[in-house]
Amino acid sequence: MSQVIDIHTHPAFFEPICADSAQLAFRRQTLGLYKAGTAPLQHIFNQMRAAQIDRLALLPLDLTTRAGQEVVSNAEIQRLVALDPERFIGFASVDPFRADACAVLEQAFNGLGLAGLKLHPARQQFSPADPRLFPLYEICLRANRPVMFHAGISLQPESLGHFGHPAGFEELALCFPKLRFCLAHFGWPWVTETAALLLKYPNVYADTGLLYFDSAREFYEQVFRRTLGEHWIDRSLRHQVMFGSNNPRFEQLRMIEALRSFGWRAGTLELVLGRNALVFLGQERAA
Amino acid sequence: MVKTEKVTLLTEQYHQMIVITPHLRAAVAAAGVQNGLAAVITLHTTTGISVNEALECLESDIDDALKRLVPEDHPYAHARILPSYGSTAGNPTGHIKSMLTGNHCLFPVSDGQLVMGEAQEVYFYEFDGPARRTVTITVMGEA
Repeated sequence: MSQVIDIHTHPAFFEPICADSAQLAFRRQTLGLYKAGTAPLQHIFNQMRAAQIDRLALLPLDLTTRAGQEVVSNAEIQRLVALDPERFIGFASVDPFRADACAVLEQAFNGLGLAGLKLHPARQQFSPADPRLFPLYEICLRANRPVMFHAGISLQPESLGHFGHPAGFEELALCFPKLRFCLAHFGWPWVTETAALLLKYPNVYADTGLLYFDSAREFYEQVFRRTLGEHWIDRSLRHQVMFGSNNPRFEQLRMIEALRSFGWRAGTLELVLGRNALVFLGQERAA
Repeated sequence: MVKTEKVTLLTEQYHQMIVITPHLRAAVAAAGVQNGLAAVITLHTTTGISVNEALECLESDIDDALKRLVPEDHPYAHARILPSYGSTAGNPTGHIKSMLTGNHCLFPVSDGQLVMGEAQEVYFYEFDGPARRTVTITVMGEA
């Protein structure tokens, strides 16, 4: 088994970036994680070891125009990555409507060395194919960086799910066929629409960060065996689905255990748990 | 006299049994209580405290018995999003195991010494780890 990557985690409560109690309270309210406790890095590493996960992608969120500030900044992500560059993969975030959005993103890639862009259409309230976003996508293309989009419904307050509907991403896939982008949370509840996009556009990915009802085992059974056809991922979408937990909202350990015992072929599991993420990140070529 | 101290544990596994008797002995020695009681209490609802013999075989049997009694694969009502947390509650088995093991234990303190049976050790049980956990040790009685 190659390295295992969780492509979707939120480090808002990692202790090294939680010294400011007012900022911590803002994060809890803004993210809708009302009782989240702070986590020392040793605890994060213990969680990774228990789940047999080698690397985490850390996602920030810039809400400068919507909430007046960043929830987690690019500089904080860079600080965390510097603490353990072997384990952490840092993404950038930019509020697409701030006047200096392009400069912020260029600095995040070229100055801070961040590995991709996280955007949240539902919370930042934009349509993925809005031409005002195109300069950001062009920067990602030039830098060979992927985009991680929140997709589907969002449990964050003040978010609008229709901005995350998979249908809104097709025009983007059409206009930017070389831009690798991911519909996080498999676009739930519109998972069939997400599967359709993946089928048509090889540059579109999805992650497994969905646990909106039931236990991880039950929910993956419902979504990946009954809502979608039992074999769709294993046969047709195996190069475009990545393990992502959405930790700390969902349950990293039980989710990855549910996937490991799901019944996909060993080769599919290896792709989902790590190799697809390396291709998505531009660190490996597609098979 | 009542003295309370907190012990923080960073657990490393989903299920883990940790002997914490040395923490208890140290707290009793530091408290200055000559005759009274020492209480070990966990502050969590998916952990447990109990007293048993610290043998590898018994740890395995206890772990196995708890997993048999409370299987992971069962349609628990607690497997859902909790709106007050904004996150999933996927740990019903931890809560039920916590109920089975209890959240505390008590020992007498006599002449400044902890009174324990020869085979007895205090265990902290992690049922939803890895996590950061806190246990209180309260020593109360005559100085």
